[in-house]
Amino acid sequence: MLNYLYKRISHAVEVLLLVSIITFAVLMWIPGDAAQLILGSDATPEKLAALRSALGLDRPWYLQYWDWLKGFVSFDLGKSYLFGQDVSTLIRQRLPVTMSIAVFSMIIATVISIVLGILAAIRKNTAVDYVSTGLMQLGSSVPAFWIGMMSIVYLGLELQWFPIAGYVPPERGFVAYLNSIALPSMVLAIGEIGMLLRTVRTSMLDALSQDFMDMARAKGLSSFTIYFKYALRSAMIAPSNVIGLQFAKLVGGTVVVESVFSLPGIGRLILVAVEQRDVFLLLGLVMFITTLVIAIALLVDIAVMFINPRIRVEMQGE
Amino acid sequence: MGDEKLLDIKNLTIKTGSGRVLVNHISLDMEKGELLGVEGESGSGKTLTAKTIINLLPENLSWEAERFQVLGVDYLKADPKAIKSLVGGRIGYVPQNTGFYLHPMIKIKDQIADGYVLYSKSSIEEALARASKLVGAVGIKDTERLLNSYPWQLSGGMRQRVNIAMALMNKPRLIIADEPTTALDSTIQKQVVDLFRAVNEAHQTSVLMISHDLGLIKYYCQRILVMYGGQIIEEASAGDLFAMPKHPYTKLLIKVIPSLNIKRGERLEEIPGHVLEIGKPRSGCVFKERCSYRQDICATEVKEQSLDGFHTFRCNFDI
Repeated sequence: MLNYLYKRISHAVEVLLLVSIITFAVLMWIPGDAAQLILGSDATPEKLAALRSALGLDRPWYLQYWDWLKGFVSFDLGKSYLFGQDVSTLIRQRLPVTMSIAVFSMIIATVISIVLGILAAIRKNTAVDYVSTGLMQLGSSVPAFWIGMMSIVYLGLELQWFPIAGYVPPERGFVAYLNSIALPSMVLAIGEIGMLLRTVRTSMLDALSQDFMDMARAKGLSSFTIYFKYALRSAMIAPSNVIGLQFAKLVGGTVVVESVFSLPGIGRLILVAVEQRDVFLLLGLVMFITTLVIAIALLVDIAVMFINPRIRVEMQGE
Repeated sequence: MGDEKLLDIKNLTIKTGSGRVLVNHISLDMEKGELLGVEGESGSGKTLTAKTIINLLPENLSWEAERFQVLGVDYLKADPKAIKSLVGGRIGYVPQNTGFYLHPMIKIKDQIADGYVLYSKSSIEEALARASKLVGAVGIKDTERLLNSYPWQLSGGMRQRVNIAMALMNKPRLIIADEPTTALDSTIQKQVVDLFRAVNEAHQTSVLMISHDLGLIKYYCQRILVMYGGQIIEEASAGDLFAMPKHPYTKLLIKVIPSLNIKRGERLEEIPGHVLEIGKPRSGCVFKERCSYRQDICATEVKEQSLDGFHTFRCNFDI
């Protein structure tokens, strides 16, 4: 197990280094820099040059990268010129928003996909199966911004069930908090259900056709035991992986939904950093998201290992 | 009902959704305490017949029968729940060893006992104590370790013994064993069938054993049905069947059992031709294409003959 963790983590470090070099190089290469950003477009060349040397921007790129890397390993992501704040502070402020909608949409998507996926597999080629297949195709083909705007119009403005924009932190009332993230979470969930539902249905069908299901039926067990104890257990491995990957993707930025619902999350921060060429902010965000995605993927793999006794026992035997 | 028949099946026909006939009007019955062998090549319909009895026929197949009673339960009238609890509570099923009939992600102790807890209304502790006893009875020494293992940690022989112990959990009155010894080595094969015989003697449990291994069935069963092409083509006591086989197919089957004193360079016997393609509409005898006694009449009709009421066979001749 330790050996495995060591391998995975050292691999993650390689990936992070590579991502940081590529991102840094691209940001250096595109025109415009922090001095320009701070002084505006009508600054004189002399003033720009002075600020560049004050900020150290006139030094070779590899020295600047080295400085940034030294900061990164001590968890200092540098300062955003645009906001005048530490990048890590900016991320910390916005992470709860993105995390909230990522977690809630994943919960919604998981529950719906598992329930419908199992039903679709058990009642294969019946109305339940067709309805859920239709739903998953609809969910994965209709763009999120359109569903978002429609839900604002109907569920927000007309029915007034949910607020249509803004974020209420949980310390200002839990119900208000849930209300503020309900619509964006649902809209995100619709996009995630398609893939997940398909995976649940396929692996459930596969499990149902296994020999051990015949045995469970020959023992005269109740349908509940047959489906939940025997079938679902082996049908949950593939969906668990998909859930993990989808969650990692969501945490890494829900740009469209955050924009549609005016939520101050990571996705909007990325948008601002790109628009304003805020190099360190963007670099910090890219590195943060990469780290998070790698960490979640690792956690999911470990979790799946614990679902599957075969891998678990082999690990203990090492 | 004291001497009720364990199995009373008349004119069972199994068809696919598109109407192809896989098992064609077979009738069989079984007495209490009987050891019945069903012999036949792959595709002869023997497994499908067994699966109908334990209500596990694949969804795309359907069956019909004039009479279908198992342990006094009439499958033609009983509701699905009654059949389910009959199968779970009073019939033990020992599957083919080649498949994976134990759930790979669940420990043996968590799957050997669930049927017993449900039908014997017992606690999980009692169930595990019984499981431990039965697993010991099928020849496993370290029962504690076995029960705490996952199926993939066991050898094929061990898994099959677990399957057998699991089938015995509810003290079944009927055991249906579908090729129980396939892919086991011969010493374990003998242990397995000896175990069935011991259970039969101790508890009057009837065993329906399906096998393509005629030698094994001869050693073990009292009565034998020979199936070919979805029909029972001969039925007799084990002694009679081997002493005077009547159907040309049975004769050939007995002839091709390899004996141990084969001389070097001697050819093994074989039955000419191929197993017939099941489900094709046909008339006359099912074996006519491969039969060396075939005459014109075999193409259109086949006679059902009986020697003494117990030894019956489907052939136009008495050779």
